[in-house]
Amino acid sequence: MSTIELVGVSRWFGNVVAVNDVTMTIGPGVTGLLGPNGAGKSTLLGMMSGFLPPSSGTVTIDGIAVWRNPAMYKEIGLVPEAEAMFDSMTGEEFVLANARLHGLADPHSATVAALEKVEMLEAKARRIGTFSKGMKQRIKMATALVHEPKVLLLDEPFNGMDPRQRMHLLALLQQLGTDGHTVLFSSHILEEVEDIAGTIEVVVAGRQAASGDFRSIRRLMTERPHQYSLSSSDNRALAAAIISDGSADAVSLTAQGLDVQASDFGRFVHALPRIARDAQISLFDVTPADDSLESVFAYLVAR
Amino acid sequence: MTTPNIGLPNSGPPNDSVIHDIGFRHYDGPRLGRGWAFRSLLLETLRGAFGLGRPAKVKIMPWVLIGLFTVPAIVIVAVVILTGGQELPLTYTQYPIAMSLLVSLFLAGRAPYAVSRDLRDGIMPLYLSRPIKRQDYVYAKLLGLAIAVWIFIATPVTVLLIGALLAKFPVRDQLLGWLGGMLMAAVLALLITSIALTLASFTKRRGLGVAAVLATLVLLSGFVSVLVSVVTMQRSGSTGTYFAVLDPYLLVDGLSAAWLGVDPQNDFAQPDGALGTLVFTTALVVIVAGMVAILLRRFRKVGGV
Amino acid sequence: MTTITTSGLTKAFGSVTAVSNLTVELPTGVVGLVGANGAGKSTLIKMLLGLIPPTSGSATILGFDCLTDGLRIREVVGYMPESECLPLDVSATEFLVHMARMSGLPASTGRERAADTLRHVGLYEERYRPIGGYSTGMKQRVKLAQALVHDPKLVFLDEPTNGLDPAGRDDMLGLISRVSSDFGIAVVVTSHLLGELERIADHVVVIDGGVLQRSTSTADATQLSGALLVEVTDDADAVMARLRDLGASVAAGRTPGSFAVELTDESLPAAVVAIVAELGVGLVRLQRRRHHLSEIFETSGVTS
Repeated sequence: MSTIELVGVSRWFGNVVAVNDVTMTIGPGVTGLLGPNGAGKSTLLGMMSGFLPPSSGTVTIDGIAVWRNPAMYKEIGLVPEAEAMFDSMTGEEFVLANARLHGLADPHSATVAALEKVEMLEAKARRIGTFSKGMKQRIKMATALVHEPKVLLLDEPFNGMDPRQRMHLLALLQQLGTDGHTVLFSSHILEEVEDIAGTIEVVVAGRQAASGDFRSIRRLMTERPHQYSLSSSDNRALAAAIISDGSADAVSLTAQGLDVQASDFGRFVHALPRIARDAQISLFDVTPADDSLESVFAYLVAR
Repeated sequence: MTTPNIGLPNSGPPNDSVIHDIGFRHYDGPRLGRGWAFRSLLLETLRGAFGLGRPAKVKIMPWVLIGLFTVPAIVIVAVVILTGGQELPLTYTQYPIAMSLLVSLFLAGRAPYAVSRDLRDGIMPLYLSRPIKRQDYVYAKLLGLAIAVWIFIATPVTVLLIGALLAKFPVRDQLLGWLGGMLMAAVLALLITSIALTLASFTKRRGLGVAAVLATLVLLSGFVSVLVSVVTMQRSGSTGTYFAVLDPYLLVDGLSAAWLGVDPQNDFAQPDGALGTLVFTTALVVIVAGMVAILLRRFRKVGGV
Repeated sequence: MTTITTSGLTKAFGSVTAVSNLTVELPTGVVGLVGANGAGKSTLIKMLLGLIPPTSGSATILGFDCLTDGLRIREVVGYMPESECLPLDVSATEFLVHMARMSGLPASTGRERAADTLRHVGLYEERYRPIGGYSTGMKQRVKLAQALVHDPKLVFLDEPTNGLDPAGRDDMLGLISRVSSDFGIAVVVTSHLLGELERIADHVVVIDGGVLQRSTSTADATQLSGALLVEVTDDADAVMARLRDLGASVAAGRTPGSFAVELTDESLPAAVVAIVAELGVGLVRLQRRRHHLSEIFETSGVTS
C-alpha cells in the first residue's frame, strides 16, 4: 500500500509556473490525471517520480520525500511521454538493463515476466529502432513494471497503440489497481479513464481544478443544471407535464425527443417516473446527457 | 452564389439585402499537374536561396555575401577605368575561381537551407502525396539552387562586362568573353551545387550541413592544390594536372581553358592536350551524374508516406 | 457510391507481407480504418496514392487505377500525415500557398483557396505567424488545411486527433464531420480510438496484420442490442427483485444503482418505470444498450 502526497507543491521554470500550489493525495487503485495540453501533468508526474524537485512544497510517498532519494526509485515505475529511446538495443536488452539497474535478484525472469504482461515476448529480440510507436510504448511499460513497483506513474501510456493493445493494457492497469498498487495515469482519452479510474485529478493551467469520483464532482456543480435527453410515446405531452410539475428549469423539443435542464437533480429524477405513469406516457429513453467524464471535464476546464 | 432577395410580403418595395454563401467552394478549374508543381518547387528553392519571401533576418547572409562578392569586381572596374588599363586583370572566367571562397560560403549557407531543412521538418510525405514523382523533388531542388548559385556568380561577372564596355574595350571580344564566363559559371554552379546538396542531404541539422559543405569545398581546394604541386614537382610533365579534377573549382578552371581557349586562373589546371580535355570533361559528367544518383537514392529512402 | 475498390491487393517486402490479399470496397462518406499499426496501414496508403506498386492484386480510387494513374490520383486526393511534417519557420498562409501550387493550382487560385481553407479549418490571425509557435491543435489544423486546399475528392486523414486534448479532439472530430457533410469530400480516417470512429464514421474497416478482418457500416456494428440499461438513485435491489418476480432476467451493473434487463418483452421498459414510480425511487437512466465497435476486437480473436 502506497500513498503519494503532495502538499502545497509549486514548480516554476523562470517565470513560467507549471504547477501552482497543488495539494493532492493519490492512494491505491487507479487514478486518472486529466487536464488540457500544457496544464502541468507531465511536470507533476516528473516530481512524483523524483525527476524534478518541487520549487516549493513537499512531494512524498508514504511520508518519505522522493527527490534525491534513490532508495525510493525501487518503489516507483514511470512510463514517460518522451519518445526517444535506445534504437540499437533490442527490446529484451533494454528491459533487462533496467532490471539489472534496479538490482533485482533474478533479472532474467523478471524481464520475461514483464515482457509477457505487455505482450512483447514475440518481438523481444528485435531492435527498438524497428519498433512501431505502439511497440515502443509497450517496452516502456515493461521497464516500468519489471521491478514490480508499488507505485506506477504513466504519462499518456497508450499513445500509438491499436485497440486490442489498449484494451489489454487497460485491463492490466485495472488489475494492478485492484491488487492494491497505486496507479496514476494521465490521458486525453476520457472514455478510457472513465472505464478504469475510480478517482480523477484535474489540473488546469497548473492549478488543481477538482478531485474525486467524477459523478460526485458533477453533483457538486450545482451552478450548472443537469442535462437530460428523453424520448417517449408522446413527447409534447410529456414536456407539458414536466413543465407543470415544476421539477425542471427548461424543456425543449428536439428531433429525437426532449432536452431537459434541471437544477434539482434529485427532485427531477424522482418526479419523472411518476409524471410518466400518471400521464400514461411510455418512456423509451432516459439519458443523462452531461453525466459523462467528458462533460464534467469540459465544465471544469471552462471555469 | 448569392441567395435571392427576400422581400417580406406587404412591407413595401423589396430591399437589396442578401446573405452570401461563403461555405467551402469547389474547384473545377485547370489542375496544372506535374510540370507546374516542379516549376513551383524550383522557384521556391531559388527564392529561398536569396531569402525572398522570408523574414529580413534570413536575407542578411546571402545579400551580404553577394555584396562582398561583387565589390572586388566594382573595384577592378573602377581601377581599370581610372588608370586607363587595356584589359581586365581578372577575366570573366577567372573571377569566380579566384574568389572561390566566397562562392563556397554562399553555397554552404544555402544548400542545407534547401535540403536539410526539409529533412528536419519531415515534409516529404506532403510533397510525395502531390502530383510529382520522387525524382522531381531532387531535380527541382538541384536546379533551383544551381540557378541561384549561377546568379550569384553572374552578378560580378556582369559588372566586369559593364565596366569593360564603359572603359571602351572592344565590344565583340568583351561580349564573347562574358558569354564564355556565363557558360562556365553555369557549369561551375551545377557541379558544386550537386556536391553540396548531396552532402547536405545526409544531415537534418543545418549547422552540420553548412560545416560539411564548407569543409569539403575549401579543404578540397587546399588539399588538391598541394597534391598537384607535389606531383608536378616529383614527376615532370603534366601528370600533376590530372589531379586537378578532384577539386571542382580547378576542374572548371581547366575546362574553361580547354573548351574556350582562355587563360585559366591557375596554370597548373590547364589540361594536357586532347586527352587532358577528355579526362576533364568526363570527370565533370561523372561527378555530376554520380552526385545526382546519390541524391536520388537518398530521397528514395527517406520520407515515406 | 464506392470511392476505393481493392481486389486481392497484396504487398510483400521480402519475407514480410505488409498487406495480404485485401479485397474491400469503401463507400463515400467517412470511412474509419482500424487495425494494427505500422506496416499495413502506411503501405496501403502508399499503394492507394500510386506511390508504390502492389506485389499482386489491384486497386482503384475514384475510378483511377492505382498502378498507372498515380499522378492523376494525387491531383484529386489529399493526405494528412500522422508524423510531424510542417516547416516551422514560415507562416501558415505561405506554407499553404506553396502546397496549393504544388498540387497544381494556378497562382491566384492557390492564394485565394489557401486563405479560404484556413478560414474553414478555423485559423484566423494566427495564420500570419510562423508555424513553429503554434499549439498542437493549430498545427493539426494546418495539416488538415493542406490536405483540403486543392479541393480533393477524397482525403486520407492519418490519426488526426493524435496529441490533442479532449477539447481539441472534439473540435477536430467536428471538423472532420463537416469535411464530409458540408464540404462534400469523402474521408478515410485512421484511428486507434473506436469511440471516435463510432462518433464520426459511417463505415469501418478493420485490418490486422495486413489482412481484412471486418468491413461494416457503423450503424450495423452499433445496433441496439437486446438489453435495457437502468440506473436508479437507490433501492436498486428492490427494483431488481420486483423485475425478477415478473420473470425478467436482470444482471447487476458495475456502478451502484445500475443494472441491465434482458429485453425479452417490449412491455419491460414500461414495467420498469411503473415499479420505479411505485417504490418512489428516482430514475436516472433508461437506455437501450448498443453494440460497440470494440466487440469486434473482443470476439474475432484479432491478434497483433
